[in-house]
Amino acid sequence: MSTINFGSKQCERIRGQLDAYLSNELLVETTGEVAKHLASCAACSRELESLMRVRDALRDAVGKKLPPEHLSAAVRARIKSARPAFFPFLQAAPAWAIALASIAFVILAGVAGQQWLKVRSGRQMIAAVLTLGVSDHLHCAIRAHNYPEVAHLPDELSKKLGPRYAGLLPVVEAKLPGFQILEAHICSVPGSPRKYVHFIARGRGTILSVILTRRAGESLPAGRFLVASTSGGVDLYDATLEGMGVVGFETTDYLGFVVSDLGRDEMVQLTSPLVPPLCDALNARTESGALPPPQSLSS
Amino acid sequence: MADFEAAAMPHLADLYRSASFLVHNSLDAEDLVQEVYLEAWKSFHRFAMGTNCRAWLFRIMFHRLHHLRRRLVKTSKVEAFACPLDEDMHMAVPQVPQDIRDDDILSALERVPLEFREVVLMADVEDFSYKEIAAILKIPLGTVMSRLSRGRRLLREGLADVARTYGIRPGSESGGESA
Repeated sequence: MSTINFGSKQCERIRGQLDAYLSNELLVETTGEVAKHLASCAACSRELESLMRVRDALRDAVGKKLPPEHLSAAVRARIKSARPAFFPFLQAAPAWAIALASIAFVILAGVAGQQWLKVRSGRQMIAAVLTLGVSDHLHCAIRAHNYPEVAHLPDELSKKLGPRYAGLLPVVEAKLPGFQILEAHICSVPGSPRKYVHFIARGRGTILSVILTRRAGESLPAGRFLVASTSGGVDLYDATLEGMGVVGFETTDYLGFVVSDLGRDEMVQLTSPLVPPLCDALNARTESGALPPPQSLSS
Repeated sequence: MADFEAAAMPHLADLYRSASFLVHNSLDAEDLVQEVYLEAWKSFHRFAMGTNCRAWLFRIMFHRLHHLRRRLVKTSKVEAFACPLDEDMHMAVPQVPQDIRDDDILSALERVPLEFREVVLMADVEDFSYKEIAAILKIPLGTVMSRLSRGRRLLREGLADVARTYGIRPGSESGGESA
């Protein structure tokens, strides 16, 4: 192939712009300059004519390539058969990202599943313990109606509780504002040797029991998904059992319950100020040996 | 679906036309166009209505085409053409027949490596601007210009070769004159 002998530097420069001229991509002033040169240069005009002839021939030939008639129907069918883009971001994501996300999902689902089983089992344990308090409340306060319409005098209540538990009465009275203590005694539920220290109070249009009993191996489970609230470092557990809202707590030796037909949230709110001083009083009395084991408590 | 139908379906013939000269056969072109439309439909929520849907569809087509090409045997590498553009520009202009037959130009087109062929098709057949081609092919504007120039030249060379093969006397082509 021989080397082009451009007639002038201007031809060389114009030839370099013919492609852009053909594509109408030159600036207006450059287009005018090229057009002016072409009008007076036969060689460059032939070069442009050659470029145009090839472009037009290509456009004609390629333009005759028409799609088969069935193609548009095939495209529509393909689109219809595809599932809608429920998660468009997944379609934009690379395969490795989806794979990683899937693995992470499986792991998280496994962890969440284990956690769920743990929580479920924990809630069953809580219900089993809190049932103790609900049973005594239903049996003694609700069904047996073991409280007077007019409250006993504090001295009488202290006498019923005995010297070992009389000291708890002022705590319960002070920390249940809006409630009047009608009754306080030691009781039990038929069929069980367990003894309960039982305070029955009236307020907010209902009857409420504060119940204490000595632990006999029962324990409330730990876990942040199980604890309803924490008050003064004491975990509170709640449940609704047999239509009653119950909040429970535990000390080293005792289980405590506050039961009524108020809602769970209201019960937790009501119980929060009561529990810490009650626990303190129970622990103090346990250390001093003032509280006897439940078997020795008398109704 | 109605929006997609109105915006995208009118360009099916254009896509098929170009696809036919970028893949091996008509069946591949049909598959490619179907894939493009399926992909476009899935990502239609990302398309800004009122913008150039035709250019968007071509961009999807080349994205898919380049992806497939990378996975297949690497043929027609640009590096195979060692001759730099500046040097090439000073070589004699190939002589082109006065009457160009469809078969001849299409045969010449097939000889043009894909990197150049796709730019020539986008500029000379599909009438996209340099800027649109740069966006569709994801290459710089300067690369569009150089590939177009080189592609057109290769097409003319291929056409001259085809003409010589069939003993067709080329039209008068020369350089060297100026006013």
